[in-house]
Amino acid sequence: MGINLAAAPLGTPLTLTHAGNDQAVAHRLARLGLRVGVAFSLISRTAGGGRVAVVAGTRIALGKPILNQLQAKVGA
Amino acid sequence: MSVTDRTSLPLSLITPSAKACCRTDTGRGAAPTDPVVALVGAPNTGKSTLFNALTGAGVTMGNWPGTTVEVSRGLWRSTAAEVACDCETCTCDDADGRLDITLIDLPGTYSLDPHSPDEALTRELLVGKPAAERPDLSVVTCDAARLTSCLYLVAQLREQKLPMVVALTMGDVAAKRGVHIDVSALARELGCPVVEIDPRRRGGLMALAEAVRDGLGRPAPAPRATPLDDDDLALEDDRFAWIAHVVDAATGAAAQNARTWSDRVDRWVTAPVVGPLIFLAVMWLVFQLTTTVAAPLQDLLDDVFSGPVSQGAIVLLSAIGLGGSWVQGLVVDGLIAGVGMLLTFVPLMTLMFALLAILEDSGYLARAAVVTDRLMRSIGLPGRAFLPLIVGYGCNVPAISGTRILPNARQRILTALLVPFTSCTARLTVFVMMGAIFFGPYAGTAVFAMYVTSILIIIVVGLGLRSTLWRKEPIDPLVIDLPAYQVPTIRLTASVTWLRLKGFLQTAGGIIVITVAAVWLLQSVPVTPGKNFAEVPVSDSVYGVVSSGIAPVFAPAGFGSWESASTLLVGFVAKEAVISSWAQTYAVAEPDNHAAPGDLGAAVFQTFTESSGGHPVPAALAFMVFLMAYTPCVATLAAQWREIGPRWTLFGVGMQLVVAWTLAVAVFQVGRLFL
Repeated sequence: MGINLAAAPLGTPLTLTHAGNDQAVAHRLARLGLRVGVAFSLISRTAGGGRVAVVAGTRIALGKPILNQLQAKVGA
Repeated sequence: MSVTDRTSLPLSLITPSAKACCRTDTGRGAAPTDPVVALVGAPNTGKSTLFNALTGAGVTMGNWPGTTVEVSRGLWRSTAAEVACDCETCTCDDADGRLDITLIDLPGTYSLDPHSPDEALTRELLVGKPAAERPDLSVVTCDAARLTSCLYLVAQLREQKLPMVVALTMGDVAAKRGVHIDVSALARELGCPVVEIDPRRRGGLMALAEAVRDGLGRPAPAPRATPLDDDDLALEDDRFAWIAHVVDAATGAAAQNARTWSDRVDRWVTAPVVGPLIFLAVMWLVFQLTTTVAAPLQDLLDDVFSGPVSQGAIVLLSAIGLGGSWVQGLVVDGLIAGVGMLLTFVPLMTLMFALLAILEDSGYLARAAVVTDRLMRSIGLPGRAFLPLIVGYGCNVPAISGTRILPNARQRILTALLVPFTSCTARLTVFVMMGAIFFGPYAGTAVFAMYVTSILIIIVVGLGLRSTLWRKEPIDPLVIDLPAYQVPTIRLTASVTWLRLKGFLQTAGGIIVITVAAVWLLQSVPVTPGKNFAEVPVSDSVYGVVSSGIAPVFAPAGFGSWESASTLLVGFVAKEAVISSWAQTYAVAEPDNHAAPGDLGAAVFQTFTESSGGHPVPAALAFMVFLMAYTPCVATLAAQWREIGPRWTLFGVGMQLVVAWTLAVAVFQVGRLFL
């Protein structure tokens, strides 16, 4: 278990612990490098309540509904 | 597609001679026997930029047969690096050392597991076809700054027996992020050639040509070994483990997540409150440039064609005895007017395409998609659909072409069907005059109401289509990778602009010219005995008879007169012509100031009073609503025809007419109860 990504702090190393129950979304995230066990961080908030995550050099904008599906633990 | 069996390629085609040569373009199209190379890769990895750099002008763009997915193909006249000419005064034979390749720019995708029709086509062409029908080789573009997310597609392609070359882009961005890639190690780990390129500045293209030629001459490499069991999850884990191993071996360290200046810019550009304000400022700039800057050029071209060009044609025709004849009418009012109308769109389209190319090349479009996503999602569209809709309020024609920024074909169609409901500036001139005639001091409010109505129609029709024809289309949650910001290059902007402008002129040009000429013809054919061809009042022409024939259709909306109906027919060709058509119908001069309509206003008021049974104001409102919602102009139709095909274009026309008529009738029938 971990914290909901919508509540996760910015600029802190995180590790994804749960990629949500929607397999299609989990696959899309995985293709971009964001999968369970991978280290990443959230670097900014976006309009509409989303966040920008940076994982392995890739910047990914995540909408608010997705943030609520994902969980992470603090620390790489 | 042009099918080429690799094994049947003559060796001379794939083995350059030792003699030096220069790269020249003779303008010849690709031959069926030329090898076929597919460009594939994740979105925003420089794939289309590379395509433009390699093919130059010899490009055709269009939907893949049987699909709505746009695919570009072009002729790549490759020249091997080791035979490149370096002599000062070249005497080399162009044909030596050159290999003509049919290059196909496939829709961007992160993997071979499709999420859209575009990605499904890429998969179908790469691995779904029999081996003999697949491209002879694939060039996979990979962004060096985000190698991990680009390699999943490479991993999947390496599991197939496909010749492949990896083109590594964005090396400068990666270096700024502290990521240094050992290209030799990367090639070794991937099991295929890797070439560093900079397509925006045309760097490394010779080396890429060399690698491709070499790859075409070799048998396909053995597929990458994968787990023996059929478990998809195990296979996926294996791919990610392989990717991690490859990245480690090629970069020597885990990729950097350090903040970059792009991140610092994004803190503002995608931020709540500030991000939308910046977006609105950018949209305002686009809107201003596409209307105010292009408008004087449009007027100038219009003046040139209606003035000196037409006068010149009349003088020439008079000199050969055809002055005042029907030939003069055909040439001046048909052909010259048609070509003139087409060319007046050139400044507008050039600006629009250039601005879109700059926004795309700079990386801003991805941010705009983030900022507007929530708003557009409410009508089932992604955020970046906001841009063509905004542009539509300037002119629908570039807005339709602007739907090309949408990656999904079905979303492109939906947006292109909504764009005609945005009230363009051509309609504004009519609204201003109608407002002055019927609403006096409330003219401004009436015009504003048309814009509000336009927005409401877009929302209602969007939701309607979303819940019917588009109900099976999933609304994907926002997951979008943000490419690093880059300074747009003039060459790339000019190249993309020219490519798109050429496509517009080729497809839309014929339709516009033919339609304008056809309207002239209908207005020239008399139906009354004793009248001569091209010397007949509009009311006595076929056009007038048709107008009278359809006028009763508009009776429930309060404007069932032939004068109003004929104006709507002209408005189908161009809304700019509505007022001049009225002036022609009533045989009064067109007012210089549309806000002070004078005699023309009095005549129009009288017509509406009679056709509405004494309720001219609701009839005028209904007419304005109809004018706003029905087919904008033939140029918009031509643009739609090009972007979404004839079937959806005709569907759109039907939908617009139904929406426009229904709304107009509702406005009049309700309005007459009060006004």
